[in-house]
Amino acid sequence: MASRRGRIRFNVGGKIFETTATTLANAGRHSMLGALLDDSWNPRQPVEGEAADAEYFIDRNPACFAVLLDLLRTGELHVPPNMPEKLLNREALFYGLLDQVRAARWGPFDGNRLQLVDSVSGRAPGDGTAIRAGPDGGCCVAHGSMVHVYDWMLEEHRPISLDYQQVNDVGYIDAESIVISARERLGKGDGGMGVFSSSTGELRHRFRVSHDNQVKSFTAGALSLGSSDYKIFASCKGRCNEYGIGVWDQITGQQVDFFYEPPGCSLGDADKLQWLDGDKCLMVATLFPRTDNCFIGLLDFRDKSVNWSWSDAGTSVSLSLDEKRVLHAIAIEDSRSICVVNQYDDLGFIDLRSNAGGVRWSSRSKLTNRKAPNEESCYPKLATHNGQLFSSMNDGISVFCGPEWVLTSTLRRSYGGSICDFSIGGDRLFALHSEENVFDVWETPPSLTI
Amino acid sequence: MSAQKKRNFKIEAFKHRVELDPNYAERTWRVLEHAIHEIYNHNASGLSFEELYRNAYNMVLHKYGEKLYSGLVNTMTGHLKEIARSIEAAQGGFFLEELNVKWGDHNKALQMIRDILMYMDRTFVPSNHKTPVHELGLNLWRDNIIHSSKIQTRLLDMLLDLIHRERTGEVINRGLMRNITKMLMDLGSSVYQEDFEKPFLGVSASFYSVESQQLIECCDCGEYLRKAERRLNEEIERVSHYLDVKSEVKITSVVEGEMIANHMQRLVHMENSGLVSMLVDDKYEDLSRMYNLFRRVPDGLSTIKDVMTSHLRETGKQLVSDPEKLKDPVDFVQHLLDEKDKYDKIIRKAFNNDKTFQNALNSSFEYFINLNNRSPEFISLYVDDKLRKGLKGVSEEDVEVVLDKVMMLFRYLQEKDVFEKYYKQHLAKRLLSGKSVSDDTERSMIVKLKTECGYQFTSKLEGMFTDMKTSIDTMQGFYSSQYSEIGDGPTLAVQVLTTGSWPTQPSAPCNLPAEILVICEKFRTFYLGTHTGRRLTWQTNMGTADIKATFGKGQKHELNVSTYQMCILMLYNSTDQLTYREIEQATEIPPSDLKRCLQSLACVKGKNVLRKEPMSKDIAEDDAFYFNDKFMSKFFKVKIGTVAAQKESEPEKQETRQRVEEDRKPQIEAAIVRIMKSRRVLDHNTIVTEVTSQLQSRFLPNPVIIKKRIESLIEREFLERDKADRKLYRYLA
Repeated sequence: MASRRGRIRFNVGGKIFETTATTLANAGRHSMLGALLDDSWNPRQPVEGEAADAEYFIDRNPACFAVLLDLLRTGELHVPPNMPEKLLNREALFYGLLDQVRAARWGPFDGNRLQLVDSVSGRAPGDGTAIRAGPDGGCCVAHGSMVHVYDWMLEEHRPISLDYQQVNDVGYIDAESIVISARERLGKGDGGMGVFSSSTGELRHRFRVSHDNQVKSFTAGALSLGSSDYKIFASCKGRCNEYGIGVWDQITGQQVDFFYEPPGCSLGDADKLQWLDGDKCLMVATLFPRTDNCFIGLLDFRDKSVNWSWSDAGTSVSLSLDEKRVLHAIAIEDSRSICVVNQYDDLGFIDLRSNAGGVRWSSRSKLTNRKAPNEESCYPKLATHNGQLFSSMNDGISVFCGPEWVLTSTLRRSYGGSICDFSIGGDRLFALHSEENVFDVWETPPSLTI
Repeated sequence: MSAQKKRNFKIEAFKHRVELDPNYAERTWRVLEHAIHEIYNHNASGLSFEELYRNAYNMVLHKYGEKLYSGLVNTMTGHLKEIARSIEAAQGGFFLEELNVKWGDHNKALQMIRDILMYMDRTFVPSNHKTPVHELGLNLWRDNIIHSSKIQTRLLDMLLDLIHRERTGEVINRGLMRNITKMLMDLGSSVYQEDFEKPFLGVSASFYSVESQQLIECCDCGEYLRKAERRLNEEIERVSHYLDVKSEVKITSVVEGEMIANHMQRLVHMENSGLVSMLVDDKYEDLSRMYNLFRRVPDGLSTIKDVMTSHLRETGKQLVSDPEKLKDPVDFVQHLLDEKDKYDKIIRKAFNNDKTFQNALNSSFEYFINLNNRSPEFISLYVDDKLRKGLKGVSEEDVEVVLDKVMMLFRYLQEKDVFEKYYKQHLAKRLLSGKSVSDDTERSMIVKLKTECGYQFTSKLEGMFTDMKTSIDTMQGFYSSQYSEIGDGPTLAVQVLTTGSWPTQPSAPCNLPAEILVICEKFRTFYLGTHTGRRLTWQTNMGTADIKATFGKGQKHELNVSTYQMCILMLYNSTDQLTYREIEQATEIPPSDLKRCLQSLACVKGKNVLRKEPMSKDIAEDDAFYFNDKFMSKFFKVKIGTVAAQKESEPEKQETRQRVEEDRKPQIEAAIVRIMKSRRVLDHNTIVTEVTSQLQSRFLPNPVIIKKRIESLIEREFLERDKADRKLYRYLA
């Protein structure tokens, strides 16, 4: 019942609040408050003067309402230290303001301004397979045959269980759907890939591979989700040497293509797939220790050709102990190069513009203290986001910026052991530790308007 | 504390778990169900949104979401069934009104129900893969109202009937129509398409099929097209008023198919009003309409284009083969230009400057201009006419326009070298007789030819201009150096022409009068003195002279005559009577030229400075000629032209043609040698095609002639036949 000056009075759990229609408009029509004030629920205009006394009663927690009303007024979220986050989230859900709360909680991702906001311990022992960030700020962690799913509030959902099949890789289609690739067990005819609901954990769809119109069982390895054309790529190993890269449509779930492994390129065992939007081709990297000879190639599916490739097969003639092995690779489209990392955490770059070029290593050893020799370590991983390069190393993650890839930040936490995998998405960075089943959540604080 | 302990007071745990009131869910649902009833009955003012929202929230929170959802489905279905009954009961025209009102009510109710159940929509619906409330409401409306057997067909018939009535001129309630079609679209594009659009398109097709059949029987082409266009616009307007925008393409394609594509041939060929008569009568508006309508259907434009092309070729052929038209070359070319202008204008005004039409026009012109092998001559004559006199007093821009048009015709010519030949002749005549209107215009024409055909084509023409200019300088030099010696003898103006640049035929010089010979000799010594190593021959057949004559009664006249005529008249300085033979002997003018000269001196009325015996039109070899004492003229200056046809006579034409053929031989041979030099070995057919493509900017060589040239080259050992394959030729370096 809006008064003349647009003032609105609430009685929430016995406490009186007064605000304006303008402030409440920020909640949107599709929120509880928007519906409450809508004309269809307030059919008759009250007589003037009566309006000042009229108030809306809401039978909810007044403290939380105060925080949410403040959010509507200023766009900023300030949670008093004594208010549990769960409580606030529950109240926000009641009012239909959860999206506003999420948006106010953290800012756009910037690798140099990250803050550790939480460390979540799981139930399983250490040694996770992979962690993947979801598009809405949630994440999922793969352990053996289980995938644990967390939403953006870091509430754990029902885990996805794959009945003792080993999970190889996971990826988000959207906040609601997770793709999982699994290893086929001998004689079972299972394995392969499926889409699971992130909220209920149930299987929605299974991806099939058919060769010569016959559906075959297969082991799916690395995954890549093409963002622009709604495709899913996966490295596949079939029973009868049907190795290669399978392609499915994200919307129909049907197989649309299969790139059979040409001689000299190991595709079925690939560690890392990455769809390059600008080039319309897929980077495939098969690396140590899965193979002795590392192979990185760019596949063009339109004419089924390998556009560009690099391999260390020829170069590793002298098998010295100090040899630099490529352990992980990531393509950086903007600088037309592929970044690789070796067992000494040195970064290397391969130029995509010239075929048969070598790796240009830039030694980092001096910058960082080398790990203690007896400490168990994990293979380093790489990621890029918005022109920033991230590289995991022991228990920290280094952030590199600029055309020369200068080290600008290091993210490190004291316990949990070295980082076995990390992932960036939904404006958050998730890092999974190997010794204890703990993952860290890093986010950029919202920029305050001054 | 201890005292209390002693009392051994024991607090027992509850024996059972805290449970909600078992009737809680049922009771809460009753409240919500009641609210839904009230909302549908327009009685929502007494409801408290906060309470209802809280109740729905609590039901979902306490895991009664399923009960809430299925309750909603049942309650809503019940209300919709009731609504369906009231719509079914509506009479006649009120049916749509009732449907529209109920649809509005349902939407409003749905909105409020969604507000209450917002929490369920956010949490229960996505995690249980249910249909969201709003969509559920639309689906239930579709299933219970639109797809109800008593409503579905009635609704469709009603809509189609209204559209039919509007097509036949009635005014209908478009607002209502828009609401109803909007409802069908809101229910999903498949509902709109299946329940309305498909039948609508079918009915439209048969409507227009019948109408077009009726129209084509009673209307002429222009009228029919006007009506078709109006129908098309009506349908587009209809779509914009009350149908889905996506229907526009579909309904217009139906109208196009029925009204245009099906009758295309008949329309184009309609007698007295079809395309041909539109073209003839310059009906820009009708043509433009036809273009715009036919453009919409496949093969539409090509149909127009084909008919236009065949009509153009037919009329063009008549034009170039009409013996009447051939009599006057200027008129002939003017007709061609007018025809071109006419069609250019049609294409510009009615056919949207369509490139394919322009191409068709060009190819048609190319086709029929080359049907007449005198076209190059006539076009050159047309330019000659314009440059002699036609362009006097015309501004420079207009001159350019005329020349550009001529160039356009020139482009169509296949035998460009023939044109060049004639142009050279005509230019030579203009330059030597000083008849050219403007030097600038002449040069502008040469530049145009140069850009069109290249440097080679015009180098000789430009040489002619250079000769004219140096001649003026030479004459100035001659007179300034020899001024004292010449005295008051005859004045000489010599134009020194480079052999080869000019279309001169070697001809024996006639005997010049002694007075002239003196100064000619002086000039010869002067010229050869400055330019050593050159040879001068007199082209007496091309010169002119101004002579002063005194007649019987002492009247004086200045006669403007040719060199030959001057020679003849000078003979009469010493005598009054000469026979034909005497004249021939004294002057040694070739007989044909002599006869022509004498004819113009003696037989033309008003210019007969000589008198012939006997009096007759033709010159015989035993005629005698007397000085005409009684010559009278009101002008002081008398110009005595030579009797000569401007157009070439038949034998001259043959001669020119022969010279052209002669000139082509070395060009063809040069092309063959050029090709063979780069390709070394080639078969006969390839040579012929390559030679043709190399030379077609100048003329179209005849394959037979190419073959002859090849043979000649073999004889001269430029080429040889391959020993193994007789079809192959080899280049001999």
